[in-house]
Amino acid sequence: MRTPRQVDIDVTNRCNLRCKFCYHFESAGDVGRDLSTAEWLQFFEELNRLHVMSVTLAGGEPFFRSDFKELITGLVNNRMRYGILSNGTLITEETAAFLKQTGRCNFVQVSIDGSKPDIHDYIRGSGSFEKAVRGIEICKKHRLTVDIRVTLHKKNIHDVENIAELLIERLGIHGFSTNAASYMGLCAINSDALSLDTADRSVVMQKLVDLNKKYDNRITATAGPLADAHMWNRMEKARRINGENTKPGSLTGCGCVIEKIAIRADGVIVPCNMLSHIELGRINQDSLEYVWQHHPMLEKMRTRSGISLAEFEFCRGCEYIGTCTGNCPALAYTTFGEIDHPSPDACLRRFLQDGGVLPVIDESRQTME
Amino acid sequence: MKETGKPTANPMLVLREEFDDWAILFDPDTGDAHALNPISVFVWKRLDGHHSVDDIMSELVKSCDDVPENAQTEVIKFIDELLEQGYAGYEI
Repeated sequence: MRTPRQVDIDVTNRCNLRCKFCYHFESAGDVGRDLSTAEWLQFFEELNRLHVMSVTLAGGEPFFRSDFKELITGLVNNRMRYGILSNGTLITEETAAFLKQTGRCNFVQVSIDGSKPDIHDYIRGSGSFEKAVRGIEICKKHRLTVDIRVTLHKKNIHDVENIAELLIERLGIHGFSTNAASYMGLCAINSDALSLDTADRSVVMQKLVDLNKKYDNRITATAGPLADAHMWNRMEKARRINGENTKPGSLTGCGCVIEKIAIRADGVIVPCNMLSHIELGRINQDSLEYVWQHHPMLEKMRTRSGISLAEFEFCRGCEYIGTCTGNCPALAYTTFGEIDHPSPDACLRRFLQDGGVLPVIDESRQTME
Repeated sequence: MKETGKPTANPMLVLREEFDDWAILFDPDTGDAHALNPISVFVWKRLDGHHSVDDIMSELVKSCDDVPENAQTEVIKFIDELLEQGYAGYEI
């Protein structure tokens, strides 16, 4: 690909909340400053020249910027579509109407982590549940595509049935996606209280699989317990069929740098917002096209898929080596200190050795995404 | 389309060319993306208000070793589709 198709932008380092598992704060992406409106608009012109199709605005909280409309207008004028990752608490009627009239908004993703204030607000702060629900209702009223992300952690896994009921039955959301509080940023600091242990993961995987039966696969995941449930079941099935006669897999778990790249709030170009310590250049100073095509770190990450799992002591003797992908390099980095390593968090062998139980899945009825 | 006409590509559309000579024509207003083969890309790049179909065909014949008999019909059909979808038009 000559240029990235999509760019993920931390458009601000600021946020009105301090969620206990936020991957941004206390990470290398927590840069303590924002770029000016003019600097972002200049960069959007470069994205236009590179024929970038869409941008995802994150942060921090994108709606926290007072120049938010100017930035969106800049994206629209430069022939792009956009999505927004938000905590939902700052969405107003006026904002939603503005987004709708641009005709370019792919989605507004709002985070909901509980079915009622005490569970959601435990993570995000007092009053945030009511405001986020209100934000969702406003988006729906203005016929914006509103995606809901539920981040699972130790304190909300027993509420997941109620969360599904709230979102699908009461708020009329088509479906929602899930992941898990990951060992990054503030979550790494609050990990003992929040990270799912093996027993938690076993329980919530089965709950999500069962809920998907009830709600006709309207719950999705590309990471976290539901994604693990499907991936690990397929790996277990392959192990039973193939036994030990499998060629080792390789580090194919990340395709992010194939199609997209990310920008920190200070304008530093990084491979992914979750690998914000890897600095590739700076917008408006370095050519994004050159960085994309020639930066040795990106080339290295793109050829990561050639690294066999057989090279790792961590994987030695594993019966699942033929179907394992090594999963997310960012999690490998935060938990193991290396990008080119399988993520221990996604290790099925370790999960089972710790007493983990795979959910019962009828694969003929279930899909992941 | 009028064969003497000189259509212009809609400037709001995005043509993303990839390394394998294929391309994506992206409409940011709808999110629709269409794959274009190298000949379609060749034609698209000449929808500048200065090229008629005859001009485009003439350049195509010069740049290719072998052009099939129905090439002009196919090029006209492609441009008609673009006009129909609002991806191209005529300057007034």
